[in-house]
Amino acid sequence: MVTEKEEMIAPVTEDLYGDLLTVTTSPHIKHNATTTKIMAQVLIALTPAFIWGIIAFGWNAFLMPLFAVATSVLSEFLMQKLLKKPVTVGDLSAVVTGLLLGFNLPANNAYFLPIAGAAFAIAVTKQLFGGIGKNFVNPALAARVFLLLSWPEQMTAFPQHRWATDLTASATPAGFATRGMALENANLLDLFLGKCSGSIGEISALLLLVGGIYLIVRRVITWHIPVAYLGTVALLTLIFPYPDTLGFFDLSRMTFELCSGGLMLGAIFMATDYVTSPITWRGRLIFGVGCGLLTVFFRYFNQSYPEGVSFSILVMNCLVWYIDKITRPRVFGGARHGQ
Amino acid sequence: MYTFKGGSHVKEYKNTRHAPIEHMPAPAIVSIPLSQHIGVPCRAVVKAGDHVDYAQLIGDIESGLGCPVHSSVSGTVKRIETVQNAATGQFIESVVIENDGLYTRSADAVPYPKALEDTTPEEIVAVVRKAGISGMGGATFPTYAKIQSAIGKADTLIINCAECEPFITANHRMMLERPEEIMGGVKILMHVLGLSKAYVGIEDNKMDAVETMRAHAGEGVEIFVVKTKYPQGDERQLIYALTKKELPAGKLPADLGCVIFNAETTATIWHAFYKGSPLCQRVVTVDGDCVARPANVRVPIGTSYKDLIAYCGGLLKKPEKIVNGGPMMGFAQWDFNAPLTKGSSAILVLSREFCQKGKSKLAPACIRCGRCVHNCPMHLTPNMLVGFAMARRFKDAEAYNAMSCVECGTCSYNCPGGMEIVQHIRVAKAAIRAEQMAARARQMEQEKKGEK
Repeated sequence: MVTEKEEMIAPVTEDLYGDLLTVTTSPHIKHNATTTKIMAQVLIALTPAFIWGIIAFGWNAFLMPLFAVATSVLSEFLMQKLLKKPVTVGDLSAVVTGLLLGFNLPANNAYFLPIAGAAFAIAVTKQLFGGIGKNFVNPALAARVFLLLSWPEQMTAFPQHRWATDLTASATPAGFATRGMALENANLLDLFLGKCSGSIGEISALLLLVGGIYLIVRRVITWHIPVAYLGTVALLTLIFPYPDTLGFFDLSRMTFELCSGGLMLGAIFMATDYVTSPITWRGRLIFGVGCGLLTVFFRYFNQSYPEGVSFSILVMNCLVWYIDKITRPRVFGGARHGQ
Repeated sequence: MYTFKGGSHVKEYKNTRHAPIEHMPAPAIVSIPLSQHIGVPCRAVVKAGDHVDYAQLIGDIESGLGCPVHSSVSGTVKRIETVQNAATGQFIESVVIENDGLYTRSADAVPYPKALEDTTPEEIVAVVRKAGISGMGGATFPTYAKIQSAIGKADTLIINCAECEPFITANHRMMLERPEEIMGGVKILMHVLGLSKAYVGIEDNKMDAVETMRAHAGEGVEIFVVKTKYPQGDERQLIYALTKKELPAGKLPADLGCVIFNAETTATIWHAFYKGSPLCQRVVTVDGDCVARPANVRVPIGTSYKDLIAYCGGLLKKPEKIVNGGPMMGFAQWDFNAPLTKGSSAILVLSREFCQKGKSKLAPACIRCGRCVHNCPMHLTPNMLVGFAMARRFKDAEAYNAMSCVECGTCSYNCPGGMEIVQHIRVAKAAIRAEQMAARARQMEQEKKGEK
């Protein structure tokens, strides 16, 4: 009783048994997640904030990240050729680094900034330390700090938002030397939505949050670092008044600090970089709290540079090996590590 | 919901969940290996030219740990040959028997003459030993030895029906079609261990089996629904899910007062006691994208993969891998003529496209995403272990508990960087084991010198 369908799928010849077989150890199947797909998810999550930046600042907000991405990819390719390593440009990690660096730049016409920065990020911070997975600090952040220290004027020449009022035009809100004054001048809703001045990708807290939630839902990142980081900043800014003002439990101060500067971008997209953050859940919480503490400390007491986020994350990046060591999980059925 | 910390949901591929168990007629020739268990290999008790009956003893153990081997057909012994085992690389003897198609049953294979209530534990251990039963989940530990070591020691009896490996549905079908055999086996085990309770763990992707088993559960047998998550069927994880006891590496379940049996092993104990049948056939899931007609088949032990696949309609496309066991922990084979053994729960024939699924063409690189650490059921740090193994820093790997790895493969399965994590950990484990043995040898030599 052979049905028509069975006849159609009738097996091919006996000869198939003669073919050579592959012998490997298990497992023989694989989940379809790849580095390339993960990086593509990050790019998708960054898109809303990127589009908003282009709307806010115009043509330059598109060109600066574009130059950064192009230079990143090219540097990665050239460095891997030069160091005689397999070329892994296809994993899109260089694109993410370039775009994140572009997000950290002001949308002015200093086009050498993204090119110099991206070359530094990939060639020095990433490839010289062994390529993807081996760099100990976030390449985009290291490049941003490199640019900030080398060309402070160009790095802080922020153009005005298309729809912003004059008061917030001169510098990113977190760049005010006296934060009390900045808070008085700020419109918190505009700050949250992104109708303010700042780097290309950092202005809209809302759109960055949307991107972050997307990444958490798609299980690319976990909530641990963003929540620990933002929570610490929220708690500390709620409790402690600025050096030049008074007032406890000021919700507007908390909102101002959470939405201004590069905090959202840093907490959601920079601090959660796999390579430069701890591996365990507990480690990620410690890392986030550490970033939050340092950010508030730098913002309150540092008068020379706008922003504390980049420096905080870079400092915590350097402690990741130690956090990983002390938060090693207890082996199933074993005694707690170190006992 | 009962479960454990770690693990991950592996794509199930349970294509044969609705395929009833079929009885495959024995092929013209079977080749029965004399070592299908952990322990010493059997010695052949038949020689070329001998006539053997179905269920007749053909290989026996004189002393030490091991399981006797029985013929799965009646016919004539053609030769005794030495073949290499693909899983272990060892050379083992096999008895090649030509099937006469008569299935004359051995006079020894008769039901145990006494009623269960009147038997002593020693008698049942002897029945299980005589029937050559070894763990049928894949580890193939001799079952009589497990029962023996648990008598008086174990207070928790667990039947492992989790079947967490993708593709395999053999136990699932057993539970649906022959629940009374499994439950009968549970009753025998409860009797021999002197226990009034038994726990059965079934994953929640087999709710129909849960219902059937609940309907057939005897007194004191409790069915637990456990979360569908790999490796839920690993004995450590199942014990933890049901009792919250953690079994450390290098310890046996009996050390925690637990004893755990595979579903089909349990049913085979029932067969041995009530039917007198030794373990000479088993249910095998035949699947994979190359197989024309995926099925669950009751196969005589010693049937070649080729005959089994031919029974399932042959191959549809060019095979890349043939896997004995599940895709997560099974062993890739190199020969279609290799025989099925007591430990083979599945035969998967996979094509090249299937094997390449999910793999990136880029060079493997760890991006420290942490999936291996979060998913490790033994709570290890596989990212560190793979690094140590690749740098040949085996001492460091040992310090990071490489020996606790159960090689379930969850880390490699989930790695987006395409790192072959568990494969490297195996290398490290082998090196550590070799070093430990060398150290032991050195110590013994020194002790000898000291004596002089």
